[in-house]
Amino acid sequence: MQNEIVVQCTGVSRTFLSPDAGAIAVLQNINLDVYAGEFIVLIGPSGCGKSTLLNIVAGFDKPTGGEVRVRGQRVTGPGPDKAMVFQDYALLPWLNARQNVEIGLRLQGVDKRTRRKSAIEFLELVGLGHAVERPVYKLSGGMQQRVSIARALALKPAVLLMDEPFGALDAFQRATMHKELTRLWKTTRASIIFVTHSLEEALFLGSRVVAIMPGAIGLTGELHVDLPRPRDSMSPKFAALKQKLFQMLTAHVPETSDAFVE
Amino acid sequence: MLLRIRAIGIGIIAPAGVVLIWWGVTASGLYPEAILPSPLAVAKALLEWAFGSTNAGPYSGTLSTAIWASGQRVLVGYIIAALLGVVIGVPTGFSRLIGSLLDPLIHLLRPIPVTAWVPLSLVFFGFGFKGAIFLVALGCFFPIVVNTIEGVRGVNRTLVKVGYMLGASRLQLLRLFILPASLPSIFVGLRLGIGLAWVLVIVAELISVNSGIGYTLLDAYQFSRYDVVIAAMIMLGIMGFLSDRVIVGIQHVALRWHREMSIHAE
Repeated sequence: MQNEIVVQCTGVSRTFLSPDAGAIAVLQNINLDVYAGEFIVLIGPSGCGKSTLLNIVAGFDKPTGGEVRVRGQRVTGPGPDKAMVFQDYALLPWLNARQNVEIGLRLQGVDKRTRRKSAIEFLELVGLGHAVERPVYKLSGGMQQRVSIARALALKPAVLLMDEPFGALDAFQRATMHKELTRLWKTTRASIIFVTHSLEEALFLGSRVVAIMPGAIGLTGELHVDLPRPRDSMSPKFAALKQKLFQMLTAHVPETSDAFVE
Repeated sequence: MLLRIRAIGIGIIAPAGVVLIWWGVTASGLYPEAILPSPLAVAKALLEWAFGSTNAGPYSGTLSTAIWASGQRVLVGYIIAALLGVVIGVPTGFSRLIGSLLDPLIHLLRPIPVTAWVPLSLVFFGFGFKGAIFLVALGCFFPIVVNTIEGVRGVNRTLVKVGYMLGASRLQLLRLFILPASLPSIFVGLRLGIGLAWVLVIVAELISVNSGIGYTLLDAYQFSRYDVVIAAMIMLGIMGFLSDRVIVGIQHVALRWHREMSIHAE
């Protein structure tokens, strides 16, 4: 199980054509294998292509070179095996929490009773057992993101894709969600690709942190994070890893860049 | 609740003012009663039209028949327009190809006044129910279809991603994701449409049918019964108002989520 490759990116490139700047190579020759149960964090400054890579894995975007396989199947378009959690939650405001989780199952042809039961189970799993019938627009940002995670997990995807999912939350909610996500990852053994530009978030969550820098060919580097969970972002070991990751990233940044000034 | 009563109270002030001015003008003797009947005379005519014995006069007791005649034309024409407007509008707004195909046609036909269609309507549908339905449906169609198209075009693109990610087919995407998300805009079209429906049914009744409130209005004019003319105008106002309330009531239920996210949410 641990050796199964769930996502395989082979020589993935993505070039955008712009009328004034010509061809811009956002991703060049990216190779990345994600093993079952891994928590991969893609990190890099804005414009490095990390979200583009995630969109390509999700099937929302097509690579201009190379290919992505999910469970051996070549990705040609989006689908429930590659569930995405969006930064702005992207819930359906006319449905309640349960219906938001159910709609994906309904589209899979799951019968009414089973999908209802399953939706409630996943909402309980993300800690929303008390809000099953609440309209989603009445929930806080953190709770809405939990619904979105429940919706994605209920699809039982091969890989869970998360695009800066906690970017819109305040620092306290974010800290809670980091602990929650760690717990969910442990209980469901989901394979996750998580995109962020925050070093702390990357090191708090990832089992492997993968760095991409703008304009680089291939991945810039990777770091296995073997700190015990839940991690303590105040510990010296954490600080040392943060230093290491920072150096790995800044080694590739021109001196004038302010990409990591936060 | 108190706020609601206050809102209704405030709402009554302006119409009451208009009646008061009207009464003042008639009381001043500026116009003879036969030309501009007083509010009281019109109220009498309205009551007789509504509740009078059918053999007491030409209009006596015929209001319910007139409402029914106009009402069913409005209802059938409007429903046809709403169904066509949404069914055509959603794919036109969603697909670039269908959009380029139909957009110019819609915007070429839209500025043609419905009255300009009357001759063709008479040729194809003759005098009667079908012609009236055609005119009502045609006129209501445009605000509904245009607002549907624009509503769909305004849907957040992430919703499309979500739909496909969850495994929706293209049809399911339109029905379960795009359509509900564009309902706020569709309802703008539906409200504009219902207002137009009453305008158009009168146009039809003035020209091509001989029943209904509009027909009564024209008939009363030809017999110089201005009290009945004004009574008919007031009925049109009331019918238009009530049918708008029905649409708003449906909107209230269907768009609860949208209302509660909006600036007037309590």
